[in-house]
Amino acid sequence: MDTRPKIALFQCQWCLYSEPDQHWVDNELPPSIHLVKLSCTGRINPLHILNAVQGGADGIMISGCLPEKCHFKEGNLSALCQHDEFLNLLDYIGYERDRIRFVWLDLQDRGRIQRELADFESEISKLGKAKNLATRINEPSRGQHV
Amino acid sequence: MMYILEKKKLDQTLKSWSEKYEVFAPQKVEGFSQFLPVEASGELALTDPHNTRYPPKALFMPQSEALLRYNRRLDRLEEVNTPPKPRLIFGIRPCDAAAVTLLDTVFNTEDNKDPFWAKRRDETILIGMGCVEPPQTCFCTTVGYGPFNTAGLDALVTELDDIFAVEVLSEKAQALFVDFPVASEDQQNQAQAVQTHAEESMAPAFDTTDLKQRLDLIFESDYWAEIADSCLGCGVCTFLCPTCFCFDIVDEVQRNERVRNWDTCMFRIYSQEASGHNPRPTRKERTRQRLMHKYSYWLGHIDKIGCTGCGRCVRYCPVGLDIRAMLRTASTLESERVNAG
Amino acid sequence: MSEIKVKLKTEIERLFSEDAVDVVIAFKKENAPLRPQPAFFKSVDELDNLEYNSLCQNNLANYLTRYPHDTLIGIVVRGCESRSVNALVVEKQHPRENLYLIGIPCQGIIDIKKIIRKTGEEVSDFSEDEDQVSVTVKGQKVTFTREELLHDSCLRCVHPNPINADVLLSDPLPEGDPAIARQAVEEFEAMDKDERYAWFQHEAERCIRCYACRESCPMCYCTECFVDHATPRWTESNISPAGTQAWHIIRAFHQAGRCTSCGACERACPMDIKMTYLTDKLNEDMQKVYQFEVGMDDETQPPFASFNLDDKKRFVV
Repeated sequence: MDTRPKIALFQCQWCLYSEPDQHWVDNELPPSIHLVKLSCTGRINPLHILNAVQGGADGIMISGCLPEKCHFKEGNLSALCQHDEFLNLLDYIGYERDRIRFVWLDLQDRGRIQRELADFESEISKLGKAKNLATRINEPSRGQHV
Repeated sequence: MMYILEKKKLDQTLKSWSEKYEVFAPQKVEGFSQFLPVEASGELALTDPHNTRYPPKALFMPQSEALLRYNRRLDRLEEVNTPPKPRLIFGIRPCDAAAVTLLDTVFNTEDNKDPFWAKRRDETILIGMGCVEPPQTCFCTTVGYGPFNTAGLDALVTELDDIFAVEVLSEKAQALFVDFPVASEDQQNQAQAVQTHAEESMAPAFDTTDLKQRLDLIFESDYWAEIADSCLGCGVCTFLCPTCFCFDIVDEVQRNERVRNWDTCMFRIYSQEASGHNPRPTRKERTRQRLMHKYSYWLGHIDKIGCTGCGRCVRYCPVGLDIRAMLRTASTLESERVNAG
Repeated sequence: MSEIKVKLKTEIERLFSEDAVDVVIAFKKENAPLRPQPAFFKSVDELDNLEYNSLCQNNLANYLTRYPHDTLIGIVVRGCESRSVNALVVEKQHPRENLYLIGIPCQGIIDIKKIIRKTGEEVSDFSEDEDQVSVTVKGQKVTFTREELLHDSCLRCVHPNPINADVLLSDPLPEGDPAIARQAVEEFEAMDKDERYAWFQHEAERCIRCYACRESCPMCYCTECFVDHATPRWTESNISPAGTQAWHIIRAFHQAGRCTSCGACERACPMDIKMTYLTDKLNEDMQKVYQFEVGMDDETQPPFASFNLDDKKRFVV
């Protein structure tokens, strides 16, 4: 790919324990990565993911605390049951499951977010630009009917 | 003036017109017909007994149309209205063409010209196909039109055995057909016979005398609640209706566009006000609104029924509600219930 | 069929005579050809119009959510409909004790569109028995096998017998084979991803956002649907490819663990769009991952409505 793949990063505000990591995510993300900061990954609704896909995201990374270490106890788990199935559905209609990745960060994981993003970006580059699923960007506001 | 277009020369004729116009014709894709450019790969469906499923009003007011675009990078508004290539719509049914003239009274008056509608309307030639065997769900004759009515048409085609007899009605169409063979008197008589037979085959669906007055009298009747019971409150009847014109304008912020979409009075949020008040809070008010608008309020505004009898609402209602039966019942109510109360 | 109609009439008359119901939801004779309509009988005097045949294509459970919870409702239910009623009871949309389910084991709903595609629209008459369906077209009688005309969802039906009904008006029918529905899903999955997308795109692009599918679905009863939200603006409301695809994806997803595969959505759609291939896949996953099948009783919570720490956590790496 000529340009860097567009990645949407949904991140819970609690999962980055180190100051440098926090600073990097808030200020030094490359422009191809769009950050959405949340109070908990449990806040994420499949509609958020679909909105990102339809906004042209080639990949979506969801980063949050380890399930047992969630700031809101079980916040992330129940929503994630749904997301697992949602990704099945997206895969079923042709949007590759590998384009959406969950990353669980722990206390000891300093510097991990940068590594994960770099790895994810290279995987997405291999998959190529997302072709399947129409986006708001590449299609006009009209139907196939005249 | 009546000309003859041989059926076997149809494809060639449409192709030659395509040089100057963007030509649309009903084509069957997915088992039902809709208007598509003739280059589309569907099978031409000009002589189906009934009209297309999706109404040709979309050719003048697309279901979703961007009105404005905002360019964030350059921080300015951009107009979206690109001048359409001149268009020729071949095979529009008289009900749909008459509906376009009814919608002209909304979008295309001297005082009130919708630029999006007007531009398309001015650049389009409408060549109609009359209905030789009107289906039982059609009722154009009841509301003042007919299977070979000429309202809104530049030319009208009558299908005979292996030819189309084309009656030219405007100068725009005259220019198209000027080199075609002229119909003989015999052919003209045949066409006339087909037309008369089609019209006579259609029985009146409901009584239209004093329709407005009779409906106004039963505005408060419980009958509307009865219909509303079965009605789902979906948008099928309104979206497929060639005379329905309500729209919703939305700022789609995520795509930097202001878009106009068809809207329907059957949705609860259609009349929902910002305060939370809804003047049509239940399905009763909304189904009543649809019938009253078409068969009473339109008459009050411009003395025309807001319906051309195309039959789509009857054929495609998911619960089988039949507007003709509703109007028949509504007409008898006036004498029974209102006088009793 | 006509014996069932007679039994149905008797049963409804009994319910009214015993003051057991405020309203009975069933079907009544059509105005438009081939179209019985959902009917809401409030007294025995209205029963002349009662109808029951294989053309009764709407899921009557759809109407339950319109009534206040203290309304005593009698409702005709076939297999999938009874499961929709159970699902609604689980979601507390109407108390079970205020419902009287008149169960009719179902031989399948005939897809009117299949008739019209074969004969054209000028159908004036309809009759059926166990194996055959006859219609009159322009004075000529044309006969088909039931199987030729059944709606696609009915061809894959596993549970034709009403579940948890208060009375059954005819003998139970043999259950269907779940492998048939599973096979349809597996065949779709076997296709290449671009082929699957092309199929999905082809179906979704015809959509005109009339929401007939939503309004005919018993499980779509939200007073404010996600498409009507302006803040946040989840999806666009226009008929662009992105808009229509989002509608189909999310509506199917919101039915995960709730859809009973009745097919009312497809029958309601004016543009003949297929949707059950999406919900059938979700239902298969519900069985595989959570061993859950909706509507088999009126107590078990659907997987996404409740959360248990023991739930399978295969998504956690």
